Amino acid sequence: MDLFGGYNPRLSRLVILNKKENLYHFPVVCNQCENAYCMNVCPTKAIKRNADGIVVIDPEKCIACGLCADYCPIKVVCLDPETGKAFKCELCQGKPLCIEACPTKALELVRMDNKGKINE
Amino acid sequence: MNEAYTNNLLMIDLSNNTHEILPTSKPLTADFIGGKGFGAKLLFDNLAPDTDPLGPDNLLMFFPGPLTGTMAPAMRGCVVTKSPLTGIFLDSYFGGSLAAEIKYAGYDGIIVKGRAKQPVYLWISDNRVEICDAGHLWGADTLEANRLIKNELDDDSIKIATIGQAGENKILYSLICCEYNRQAGRGGAGAVMGSKNLKAIAVKGSKLVNIHDPGEFKKACQDAVLELEQSPDVEALRVAGTASAIEYANETGLLPHKNYQYGTFARASKIADKGQSKHLWLGSNACMGCPIRCSKIGAVRTGKYKGFVTDIIEYESAALLGSNLDISDIRAVAHLVKLCDLYGMDSMSTGTIIGFAMEACEKGLIEAPGGIDLKFGSIEAAEYLIHAIANLKDPLGKLLSKGVKQAARVIGNHAEDIAVHTKGLESPAWGPRGVSGMALALMTTDRGGCHQRGFPVSYELGGEWNGTPLDPLSPEGKAQMVVALQNYSAGTDTVVKCDFGTFGISEKTYIRMLSAATGRVYSSDIFYITGERIWNVVRLFNLSQGLDISEDMLPRRFVEEPLPDGPAKGHRISKKDMAYMKKEYYKKRGWDENGVPLETTLKRLRIDYARSNQ
Repeated sequence: MDLFGGYNPRLSRLVILNKKENLYHFPVVCNQCENAYCMNVCPTKAIKRNADGIVVIDPEKCIACGLCADYCPIKVVCLDPETGKAFKCELCQGKPLCIEACPTKALELVRMDNKGKINE
Repeated sequence: MNEAYTNNLLMIDLSNNTHEILPTSKPLTADFIGGKGFGAKLLFDNLAPDTDPLGPDNLLMFFPGPLTGTMAPAMRGCVVTKSPLTGIFLDSYFGGSLAAEIKYAGYDGIIVKGRAKQPVYLWISDNRVEICDAGHLWGADTLEANRLIKNELDDDSIKIATIGQAGENKILYSLICCEYNRQAGRGGAGAVMGSKNLKAIAVKGSKLVNIHDPGEFKKACQDAVLELEQSPDVEALRVAGTASAIEYANETGLLPHKNYQYGTFARASKIADKGQSKHLWLGSNACMGCPIRCSKIGAVRTGKYKGFVTDIIEYESAALLGSNLDISDIRAVAHLVKLCDLYGMDSMSTGTIIGFAMEACEKGLIEAPGGIDLKFGSIEAAEYLIHAIANLKDPLGKLLSKGVKQAARVIGNHAEDIAVHTKGLESPAWGPRGVSGMALALMTTDRGGCHQRGFPVSYELGGEWNGTPLDPLSPEGKAQMVVALQNYSAGTDTVVKCDFGTFGISEKTYIRMLSAATGRVYSSDIFYITGERIWNVVRLFNLSQGLDISEDMLPRRFVEEPLPDGPAKGHRISKKDMAYMKKEYYKKRGWDENGVPLETTLKRLRIDYARSNQ
């Protein structure tokens, strides 16, 4: 809503996968991969890792080729249906809107080290 | 202007293989808001008297509401058509995410008319509308058809409405499966879809649902979520869904047992939340964007029927395929419900019909099929009948496929005395003998035997409505309450809300969300006025389709047979009480003594105006 000005979960930065007649639900968010394929395949170097370790896309440099979305292993790089440019979860400058929107407070932002340990 | 309406209605003509996009007209949104309102108006305007519900001229319509697909909590979609089971208006509601997807594809509604020459399915992806061959899908059950289409289109994210074999065979109480575990269940919309040779509607939408005033809308939605959190009724649903109502209905003597002969069931807890949480449930599940999450999803993983996913066995199904049949093995009940879901057959009507057949057989009115012990408590007999009905397998299956009203007529010999329905729609699992307001609600519902057009039970047993004391057994003061509840329910069915949302969300908050979403100004009584308008338009429609007003009545069982058990033991709704309440009700409605809306009523509600301007 806040990013596109309207509602459609197909444009959300996280995806809920429903399996086996909705018996299982898996929230899938960008892992900010250490070896980020989206970054590796980008022909214009529009995708970079910032100082906080978050993989971000520069829309100015993005040429809407869609390679990053093709090669994301968990399909969380999406393309804007109007411009064709790529977007992904960049954690909203440290204040994720999804956390704010969740009515049941099911989401929280945590920091993990490279061994998968959560740092409080 | 940015607003939550897409202002497009997609009209598909299967006879001519064409489609067009019609504007959602301003008078339509002003007078009828959406959902049920759109359906009532369009059915009334477009169906000639005595239209064959299974003929090409019937309309099959799917409506999300103006708030569906947004952040507004507990919103759904509805199917509106002329029912082949009752011959009158039918609106049937479904949760899940299909309705939102229709909005994302850019439509306030999908209207299907005509009849395809061969089996087809619709593939709607934004502006692209294809009528695809479905010959290879014909004969598949609801979930198999869903899976095959997703494979064929190579996309798991598509939302699909399907019918099963029951809809193909035009069983008069077939449903439309709106994946997963969500159905437009009542009244036979699946048979209408089958009569059009339409196996499925697959939808994918990439567009945005816009909001007029996002800031105010967000605030109103947050308040709605807060109101839901503060409601003890919603809390009960969050913990145990509608299964929690089984013990309540049993304690109050409203739980049907043995084809509604009794109002209590000694083994109720086995089919209630206690039995279900032990044997079935694994986790919670929600319709899109709903914080209530009343679904308790799980699986039958042990016993004779093991090996399938099941959602919560919600109250109506648990009662009608459980206690009503004297069956208390919840895994068996889940199995019977799953069979109904896969064939695409309303588990409520199916439960009532099997109960009717069991009693009819025990009373010697019908013969059991060979090798079947057709009596209360027999899981095998219930299972046999579900297969026989859905596949039109033997003479009894064929007979019962027509619904309890028609089946009883054919059987004759006073079988009608034990047929429990109103206007042909099998009654819900709320025996009304101890609550006369509920009786009046059942007598007067617009689609036949239904508990969702006003549910006075909680007020009656609570002893008060709107500050006025109420005696549940007396016919006094019920008409006013039922009219108000029906109007509010029909009014909010325009947005299209889930009934459970109304347990928490206030009228004021619904109006704030609607106003912020559409940018229109609404009066504080908009839902009551719109609901009353809809109620009258539907009445006119039903009369035009040949509704016999003597059918504004209860099934004989609730009138002639005193309740044998429970707190209201010995009570029935006498003919005198029925006549009294009906007279009061017509008066409050502004209808004449024959139940026909008076000119002054129609004028006050601007129904003539609405008719001549669209």
